[in-house]
Amino acid sequence: MQLIPSLDLLNGRVVRLTHGDFATAKVYGDAEQVLDTLAVPRGARLHVVDLEASRSGRPIETSIVRRLAQRDLIVQVGGGIRSLDDARRWLDCGAERIVVGTAATTALLDALVETFGPQRIVPAIDVRDGVVRTEGWLRESAMTMRELFTRVESLAIPEALVTDISKDGALRGPSFSLYRELRSITRVKIIASGGVAASSDLASLARLGNISGCVIGKALLEGRIDLREAAARLAARNAVPERVIPCLDVRDGRVVKGVSFANIRDAGDPVECAMRYEAEGADELVILDIDGARSSIDTVRRVAESIFIPLTVGGGIRSVEDFRETLRAGADRVAINTAALRRPELIAECSAEFGVQAVVLSCDAKGGLCAIRGGKELTDVDAVEWCRRAEELGAGEILLTSVDRDGTNAGFDIELLRAVTSRVRIGVIASGGAGRLDDFRDAIEAGGARAVLAASLFHDRVLTVGDVKRHLEAEGIPVR
Amino acid sequence: MANIARALRAAGAGLRVTRDASAIANAEKLVLPGVGSFIAAMQWLTETRIDAAIREAVSRGAALLGICVGHQLLFESSEEMGTTNGLGLLRGDVRRFEGPLPVPQIGWNRVCGGQAILPVRTGEIACPPLFDGIANGTAFYFVHSFAARGVASEIATAEYNGPFTAAAQQGRVFGVQFHPEKSSTAGLRVLRNFIACS
Repeated sequence: MQLIPSLDLLNGRVVRLTHGDFATAKVYGDAEQVLDTLAVPRGARLHVVDLEASRSGRPIETSIVRRLAQRDLIVQVGGGIRSLDDARRWLDCGAERIVVGTAATTALLDALVETFGPQRIVPAIDVRDGVVRTEGWLRESAMTMRELFTRVESLAIPEALVTDISKDGALRGPSFSLYRELRSITRVKIIASGGVAASSDLASLARLGNISGCVIGKALLEGRIDLREAAARLAARNAVPERVIPCLDVRDGRVVKGVSFANIRDAGDPVECAMRYEAEGADELVILDIDGARSSIDTVRRVAESIFIPLTVGGGIRSVEDFRETLRAGADRVAINTAALRRPELIAECSAEFGVQAVVLSCDAKGGLCAIRGGKELTDVDAVEWCRRAEELGAGEILLTSVDRDGTNAGFDIELLRAVTSRVRIGVIASGGAGRLDDFRDAIEAGGARAVLAASLFHDRVLTVGDVKRHLEAEGIPVR
Repeated sequence: MANIARALRAAGAGLRVTRDASAIANAEKLVLPGVGSFIAAMQWLTETRIDAAIREAVSRGAALLGICVGHQLLFESSEEMGTTNGLGLLRGDVRRFEGPLPVPQIGWNRVCGGQAILPVRTGEIACPPLFDGIANGTAFYFVHSFAARGVASEIATAEYNGPFTAAAQQGRVFGVQFHPEKSSTAGLRVLRNFIACS
């Protein structure tokens, strides 16, 4: 999948509109300066939109496109192309391909393909709520998506640009469901556009299999995506498996489970559960002492002695000494929550003493704020800000639990996950709310999580770890 | 350490955890674990003269398996805080992971090269390959900030900020950058393969 930086041009400068509204234009500066700032590599594909042209219907920013094409960039340009002459003007400027929106639904598309060849034409299809839109997003098209793609295929056009305009510029994530639907509708490769906010979105798009390129606009301009890092992640995307982690909430030497941290019931013997989960393919195990009393250190020891996968332990860790004792009991990593919120330096101290890989920040989020003492007490600390801070202080990973969703089986809180994963570089474990197989996919695909955690689903044998891993693999997400 | 001993026992080894240099010098098989810093580990090996004991054992034909930092210690040097000399049993050096992906690497990663590796023979002694029975692309658990890259003794590679040496072997000296004791059945299989090496 190619990463295609997008430059929207207006009055000779790079701008961004929100929801296609000219009144919202935010100016980023001169096109070439912007390219230098973003470190766009030579030979890269570039998506250029002449906004004025899309409004007025004739090419305006031709001199900029000419300069960009001379910089060894493969430029595709769009904006109000309504005739063969318009298209020819852009191609004469050095554009490699032209992007046609409104024209894609008219007879002009046939004429363009006949004149310039299907390789040089990219139909741009704007979709809102599953309906194709044209003409600067203002009008509903007479064609359905399926009809449009049948036409594109019959013209032997290899690629189409598909934008979910309800997502564009909103950084709320690409429309994975739309692109997945297109996979069953058409063989045409899709250039995804709209909503990309984090490098995890790019990895997720690449995994869909039908996405040949991704246009990145606002996220790049706002510095949320680094092109080098994104390219490295894409190159390694099949190497690093995403993890499935069963969680044992323990009390008095037994596994227990509740709903939203209350109504606790017995769910089995920790060692038996742990061994079963490893045999099912669990990539890691989490033990949380739900009383935060550290009475379960013996349970930790017994579990650690019975498994050969990494073990993360949390609950009631108040000091460097507690941390050390938990590692000695056999934990590989230790999760801190309440004590770190009360004294953030604890994260830095543990990180310096035991290494960043040993420190997990456990963040229990309730309505966007951090909860402590096992969800019993709400602080005024913003959960996303706290996760960012914890990363700076030296946490190696974040275990992010939605208290609201915990034990409800209503699905992970994707919005919360996105808010955190798009702002930190360290991995985030999604926790709280797993119910259906697709929930696990969504937490990784749309939520950007690097691991998914569940408790009651596995304890109650509603699903096995193996079921989840097979489902993720079928959805193109690499697992061990 | 406790975890590695437990995993080795689960893989069928009879073993002794020791820091006694003469016991090490006379051992048939050695496992050198290591976590934390290369410098601190190397200092300790030098002060206790275990470094010389390991070299002596290897020169007598003992098999040696280095794990994680123990694997890194097998090489000539590490650039951790300047340059620190290692045991020098394998050619090459250990460098910090450079690149856009976050360091340390924490987690599972796929290892390639396993079954493609032919048995290496040293004199009369045949060492079965460490990855016998393990499919290419099997994931192992890694936690590290430094790695050897493209060394001559590389028998398996993984990708993280570019390819790096996941396992190395020269004669009866083996090293694995991952943690076999945390890598479930695949990890135990590697340990069994080492134990089976005659």
